[in-house]
Amino acid sequence: MPAIEVSNLQRAFSAEVLAVAGIDLEVAEGEIYAFLGPNGAGKTTTVRMLTTLLRPTGGTARVAGFDVVDEPAAVRSAIGVALQEAALDPLMTGRELIRMQATLHGIARDEGRRRADDLLRRVGLTEAGDRRVGTYSGGMKRRLDLASSLVHEPRVLFLDEPTTGLDPVSRKSIWEEVEALNREGTTVFLTTQYLEEADQLADRVGIIAKGRIVAEDTPTALKTQVGKPRMEIVLAKGERSDCVDVLGGFGELLPPKDGKLMLEVAEGAAAIAPVVRALDEAGIVVESLDVVEPTLDDVFVDKTGQHLEGAEPGEPDTGEEAAAG
Amino acid sequence: MRTFAVVVELGRRSVRQTFRRPQLMAPLLIIPTLLLAVQSAGAGRAVDLPGFPPVESFFDFLLAGAMVQAALLAGNSGGIAMAIDIEMGFTDRLLAAPIPRFAIVAGRLAGTAAVGAVIAVWFLAIGVVFGATIEEGVLGALVMIVLVMLAALAFGTLGAALALRTGSASVVQGTFPLVFVILFLSTAFFPDDLLLEPAQTIAQVNPLSFVVTAVRDPVISEWSMGELAAGLAATLLIGAVGLWLCSAALKRRLRMG
Amino acid sequence: MDRGLDSDIETIRALVRRSANELIRVPGAAVPGVLAPTIFFLGLTAVFGSLTLLPGFTTDSYASFMIPVSMLQGAGFTGAAMGVNLARDIELGLFDRFLASPAPRWVLLTGLVISAAIRSIIPSTAVFVIALAVGAHFPGPLGLLIAYVCVMGTATIAACWSAIIALKFKTQSASPLMQTVMLAAVLCTTAYAPQELLTGWLATVAEYNPFTQVVDATRQGFVGGVSWDGTWPAIVVILALTALLGAFALRGMRRTAY
Ligand SMILES: Nc1ncnc2c1ncn2[C@@H]1O[C@H](COP(=O)(O)OP(=O)(O)OP(=O)(O)O)[C@@H](O)[C@H]1O
Ligand SMILES: [Mg+2]
Repeated sequence: MPAIEVSNLQRAFSAEVLAVAGIDLEVAEGEIYAFLGPNGAGKTTTVRMLTTLLRPTGGTARVAGFDVVDEPAAVRSAIGVALQEAALDPLMTGRELIRMQATLHGIARDEGRRRADDLLRRVGLTEAGDRRVGTYSGGMKRRLDLASSLVHEPRVLFLDEPTTGLDPVSRKSIWEEVEALNREGTTVFLTTQYLEEADQLADRVGIIAKGRIVAEDTPTALKTQVGKPRMEIVLAKGERSDCVDVLGGFGELLPPKDGKLMLEVAEGAAAIAPVVRALDEAGIVVESLDVVEPTLDDVFVDKTGQHLEGAEPGEPDTGEEAAAG
Repeated sequence: MRTFAVVVELGRRSVRQTFRRPQLMAPLLIIPTLLLAVQSAGAGRAVDLPGFPPVESFFDFLLAGAMVQAALLAGNSGGIAMAIDIEMGFTDRLLAAPIPRFAIVAGRLAGTAAVGAVIAVWFLAIGVVFGATIEEGVLGALVMIVLVMLAALAFGTLGAALALRTGSASVVQGTFPLVFVILFLSTAFFPDDLLLEPAQTIAQVNPLSFVVTAVRDPVISEWSMGELAAGLAATLLIGAVGLWLCSAALKRRLRMG
Repeated sequence: MDRGLDSDIETIRALVRRSANELIRVPGAAVPGVLAPTIFFLGLTAVFGSLTLLPGFTTDSYASFMIPVSMLQGAGFTGAAMGVNLARDIELGLFDRFLASPAPRWVLLTGLVISAAIRSIIPSTAVFVIALAVGAHFPGPLGLLIAYVCVMGTATIAACWSAIIALKFKTQSASPLMQTVMLAAVLCTTAYAPQELLTGWLATVAEYNPFTQVVDATRQGFVGGVSWDGTWPAIVVILALTALLGAFALRGMRRTAY
């Protein structure tokens, strides 16, 4: 049984705003699935529907084997949720918050106390546990929110943009925690605007834009879909016609860009040595040589014609900005 | 005239602000209207009490009190809006701009005065619909509008002074109950002869009583120049004190940076 | 799910404790709730005190006549304040934490309502003590008990009403609607004078306004003797309005996150 099973899920807020326009997806038990998309793509709306906070206007979704509309209580017992804003009551202490969450899940008092201690230790908040949440930093709040969502050992964990706005160190610590949880068997559904996050964490990535999934696969497969790694070569004395013959044997030559020769090389960086050697033997002097791996942003551009946040602006093929830089 | 244009612009902004935020405008009209409705009928037999001045109805008597009450609340809510401006840094931007300092206060007050006019018209309309007779007719009504506008302006200076002094919307909001203290200790709801002590003594010297009496005069009786003059003087006094407090608070704010 | 009544009660306790934080941990948080009914009580008593001179007025102490109204007004404001807090929690996304948990929705509502009922004791007791100090009659133990039942019942009704509004508009800007309606409900009764002395529209409205029963029941001990006949209509009103408004509030909760 898949942990999450979504079929043609839709949410309209009005006749014009179709925030989620019919998505299908399946997340296997034990998987980390990342929803990657820019602002307004429909990530939060999807998460809210899957966590029973928002009623779908079409389609069906089952989480942990339960239908989100017909069996919301069962879904709620099986899932942990950390929403985008990490909304925490500033007047409560971290420990109180986790214990309240335990109570909400029907966990007995002693057990709740024990789990609060464990979880605070786990996310490194033992010291701060008795301080009011109002005094926490953004990263601490995120970690507390994550800890509180784990109190009932959920089978499926939903994290809506768990690291947005965090510094690299805090981000790293959340990633490690998510990976550890996943090793312990928790299925994770997370949303993110960060390519790196999806790339690092996810077993599979769904790229969402304007309420639709435009691509979905493992990060590696997605990247190979848009193209093989390519080598960008700049020659010392401008272009020489014979280099085409030399390079042609290594892979397909793409149209040159900004005076760079573009060579598609299936084996990536491993092709550097043979290529350099061959050029050298032909007496062609190389000024620079780079292997560029496709990124999820390339996938995104390929599927939507737009860039994700944090990726370089502008269409790579027009070349204007790239030439200036 | 540039300064004038600035004041008009700021005034327009403050009116817009008030009308667009129902949570600012609603209490201003609804609470006095509700109290007017409930008290005029709940204590309507008060007019039978020995010593009650001759009026057509208790509703006629209370109309002016409701107007002045709303004007007080307008001054308070103008102060809240100004404190929000300060909290959000809007006032600092104005202070940094090449406009005279008083334009900032004047803009806010212009807005409050406009709200005062709306209040007066609202209650006059209610008065007419629910059968009040304004003894002095259209001219009386116009005088009432002017008086209520001036009263809102005067109370506005107090609200603005508090906002400038504290810079905190929640502090200004916290003085909301004070509005009712001042009202209950005046002749806004009842003639002073019939108030219990110590309210009676306080009401007799409370400037607000004079303001209310002046606004009430055209409704319940023929012109009395003495009452009109006393009301205007009380309004001026409140406004002068408020302006003085404003300028002190503004100076302090600039000094403290 | 193995959720038993025990965990439901435990959850309600946790919700009440959280709501109490606000009073305990924010300095001065209880002051506005006490101040408003106190000012109204003292003010209205001083202003309209001479009404007792009217023939047919049921008591010679306007303070005794007005204190029940002020206690109920304090309860209404307290209930409305709980609705404002709910709206704030919804705005901030805090309420999602509760909605996404398996706690039954009636448990969430009950937590809110019980908080309101308990908190309403603070302003009503404060204004009651002040009233005694300025000469209101002591209502007797039974009269006082009835008064507090009515106070907590009114707070419950106000909390349900305000929860409906909060869940519908999901913004604190809707607070005037919560407070004003409760104020109107309590004042459009025999608040200022006995039924026979009311005039105009209010004479009719007060007769049919169910809160008149609550005001009159609360008032019994202060202006005369208590009787079962003077009490049961108030209890019926409280139970009926709580059931009705509670059902709508639950529906609102289910609409927010079914
Ligand atoms: N309650 C609502 N009412 C109306 N429109 C809404 C509502 N919630 C979301 N939307 C709209 O639905 C679309 C998707 O929003 P959503 O919050 O799901 O995006 P997101 O991918 O989570 O974006 P972000 O990265 O900014 O969090 C947006 O156009 C948004 O304006
Ligand atoms: Mg989002």
